[in-house]
Formats: sequence, C-alpha cells, structure tokens
Amino acid sequence: MIDLQNDDKNCPIFPVISVTNLNISLGSETVLKDITFEINKGDYCAVIGPNGGGKTTLMRAVLGLQKFDSGSIALFGKKLSSFKEWRKIGYVPQRASHVDSEFPATVREVVCMGRSSGYSLFWRKKSEDEEAVENAMQIMEVKNLENRRIGELSGGQRQRAMIARALVSHPEVLVLDEPNTGVDMAVQQKFYALLRELNQKHNITIILITHDIGVVADDIKSIFRVNQTLLANDAPHEVLSCDDMSELYGIHAHMVDGHRHD
Amino acid sequence: MIEIFEYEFMQRALIAGVIISIISTIAGSFVVLKRYSLLADTLAHVSLVGVALAILLESSPVYMAIITSVVASWLIEYLRSYHKIYSDSILAIFLSGSLALSVIIVSVANEFNSSLFSYLFGSILAVSSDDLVLISVVGIFVLALFVIFFRSFFFMAFDEDAAQTSGVPVQWLNFLLVTLVAVIIALSIRVVGTLLIGALMVIPVISALRFKKGFFNTVVIALFISLTSVVSGLIISYHYSIPSGATIVTVVLGMFIASMLLNRRG
Repeated sequence: MIDLQNDDKNCPIFPVISVTNLNISLGSETVLKDITFEINKGDYCAVIGPNGGGKTTLMRAVLGLQKFDSGSIALFGKKLSSFKEWRKIGYVPQRASHVDSEFPATVREVVCMGRSSGYSLFWRKKSEDEEAVENAMQIMEVKNLENRRIGELSGGQRQRAMIARALVSHPEVLVLDEPNTGVDMAVQQKFYALLRELNQKHNITIILITHDIGVVADDIKSIFRVNQTLLANDAPHEVLSCDDMSELYGIHAHMVDGHRHD
Repeated sequence: MIEIFEYEFMQRALIAGVIISIISTIAGSFVVLKRYSLLADTLAHVSLVGVALAILLESSPVYMAIITSVVASWLIEYLRSYHKIYSDSILAIFLSGSLALSVIIVSVANEFNSSLFSYLFGSILAVSSDDLVLISVVGIFVLALFVIFFRSFFFMAFDEDAAQTSGVPVQWLNFLLVTLVAVIIALSIRVVGTLLIGALMVIPVISALRFKKGFFNTVVIALFISLTSVVSGLIISYHYSIPSGATIVTVVLGMFIASMLLNRRG
C-alpha cells in the first residue's frame, strides 16, 4: 500500500549533490569559505555546527535559495542554474514547525501543496495526485488529522505534516533544517525512526541540519561539520570526539553517552 | 427592493460590483496571508495619480489608473525583491508620494471637482457601458489567471522558500500577483473608489479568517461576505444617495464586527 515509487535500491551510487569550492559572503562578511563535498544517492547525512556557522546558508545555496560568490553546485549531475527537476528534492525549512497558528490551511491542503507544482503550473487534480497525497499522509501518520488546521496541531504533528508535504512529490532527496526544534524527546525518537525507514526502505537520501547529533548517530552515514569552512566530512564515530566537537563549537565539549573519547 | 435593479445604471453598477467583489476577494486572500495588506491601499493611491493625469490630459481615467498602478506595482515588487528594502517602508513611500503627486496634478488641472470626488469614494452613477465592458473582459481574464495559479499562490503565501524549491517560479508569480492587484484596484475606482478599495480587498478575508477554516473554505466565506456587502452597499447607496464605496465598506466593516462576535473564543 505504502509506495513512494523510489525503492530502486539496485541503482548505482552517484552523487545527487556536488559542491565545489563554494564561497558565500553576506555584505562584507564571509559566511562560507571554500566548501567542497559530495552527497551520494541513499546517503543519510547530518550537517552540524554552531549557530551562525553557515549550516542553513550552505543548504539554502544548494537549494538555489541563496546566491553564492564563487564555486559550483550540481544537483543530480546538472548545474544548479539549469536544474529543473525540483520535484526530486523535498525541503522542510527551519521555521516549518513554527507555522503561524492563524494560517488557514488544513493538513490535507498543506500536503496537497507539494503536488501543486514542479509538474506543471497548469495543475489539475488527478487520481495519481490523490493517491500520492493519501500515501504521504499515511506514511507520516497524519491521515487522521487531515481536516484539522495546521496551526492547531502540536509541534510533532505539524512537523509530520510538513514532511508529508515534502514527500508527496516522491523526492529522492529530503532536506530537513533543524526539524526537532521544540519537539519533546519521545516524539523525536519516533520521528528519527520514520527518517530511518525513509532512508533504508525507500532509499531516500536524507540531509539533516541538526544539533541533536547524539540521537541520530547510529543511523547517520556521514557528518558534515560546518563552521564557515567544512571542518570535516566523516563517518559519525570518527567525528564525535570531544576534541572535534570542541573545535567545531569553540567551547570545551564533554561526551557523555558512550561515544569515543580521545 | 427589486425594482431598483430595473434601472440600467443600477444593473451596470451591480454587475461591475459583483465582478470586482469576486476578484478583489481572491486577490485579497493571498495579499493578506503574505502580510501585504497595505499593498492594496498603496496601489489605490497610485491609481489616483492615473485619475488625476486623465483629468489633466482629458483621457480615460480607468485606463490611466491601470497604467500607473501596474507600473507602480512592478517598481514596488522590484524594490522589495532586489533591493531588500522593508516592504512596509516601500509602501509608505509610494502611498504618500503618489497622493502628493496627484494633488499637484489636480491643482495644475484646476479640476478639484465632483468627478474627482466620485473616483475617491465610488459612485453607482459612474459605471458607463464602456466601463462595464472593460471591467467584465479584464475581470474574467484576471479570474482565469487566479484559477490557473491558485495553488501556486497558496503555496507561496504559506512558505515561499519551500514553494521555490518545489519548482514554483516564485519571483515571476510575485510580479504577476502585484500586477493583478494593481489591475483590480484600477478597475474598482468607479464602483468603490480609490480610497476604499483596499478595505474591500482586505476586510472580507480578515473576517473569514475568524471562522478558523481551511484555505478553500476561508475564501468561500470571504466571497460570501464581500458579495453580500457589495450588493447591500449598492442598494443602500441608491436609497440614501451616499457614495457607493462608502456604503459598501461600512457594510463590510459591520460584517467584520459580526464575525468577531460570532467567533469570540478565538
């Protein structure tokens, strides 16, 4: 029943995002300097770093929302400026869980938005759209909330609705910017289990901009440490040391939950 | 009650009023949700420059109003998108600037007369057959564009970044939206008047939001409020010989107060 039309696990590994020598400045201030990395299909990566370190700016540049000074960005092998297949990318912005409580949209209307574009501006509701909306709502367990207004929901429910909207166009890459701000621990655990399923079962590449690195360390295949430059791009067990975290955040870090100490 | 619509001028005012009510409410739904309510008022003041120019040059006020408000809408959107000036500051500049400019033009034309008064506050007698043809043709075209881009405008009002990353041509559609608002305002100057169209665009939507429904139902409620206000406002205007824009906006304000009272818990 649940089908994201994206379960082709046997396809060869190729970079879905390639960033080369990226430099971004806002006014006279350099925000990101000489960033180079690749993210492959099926990856599950986290982008971590201090506030103001450029995590969100980096991902906004990758998504075409932020101008950059020099360097190049390619999505699915195509230059960003000529990339048209935006339906392949689902984006849940940072403020998604802080939707204006007065905004007049039901959960169903929000999920439908993800289907309203990318195919054609002259959108007409088709049975396949209906099916995609139903599927996405079921996967994210918001079907029972479909007629509730988005502003009435709890932080966790709202976040699931937002991800359902991102999933409805059958994306191959899902970018989530600090999705768990203001959501309690139990809801977070369930949420990360859902992300694991999307990554492992549906082969969706997941990029998570987060502070809660400890919670997802077991699922993540690589961690990007960003503080103006890309300090490292490694597997979690190689990054999560006290020294590395102290370097990244500029304060003395102390690991408490069984990750490696240097 | 019904016999007043046997007069041709009332029929024209009514048809024009209904068309303007529908398109201004749909435009207002997006404008309000984008926190851009003052745009309507600003463009209304700009269209007054068009009216003043038309009086000076003795040409058609509606066409001149369309030209000035559309050009201003593009300038406003350009400054907002590319120069990152706060939108409310841009609107304040255009609002006061255009009012000053229109007063100067009218003074030069030496025509501060009753015809200008009708453009400020609307007049049921002012809608000519030519006006009605223009309002109908352009109004239906505007409505068609709203139907085509309805979902994209809704997505943009909800989350512009997410809409852009889904492939919605956000910049282009922002220009289209302000252009449509500019055209609607210029079309409305006969029936509602330049100083009051902003209220007709915004208040029905604000009232409908009090009912806390989804977007589609909110637009339907706003349309009901707007249409009821326009029709009853025109009837009151006829009976008491008051400018139609003023009566329409007074009724819509009454509807807003009623919707507040009906939804007190919110």
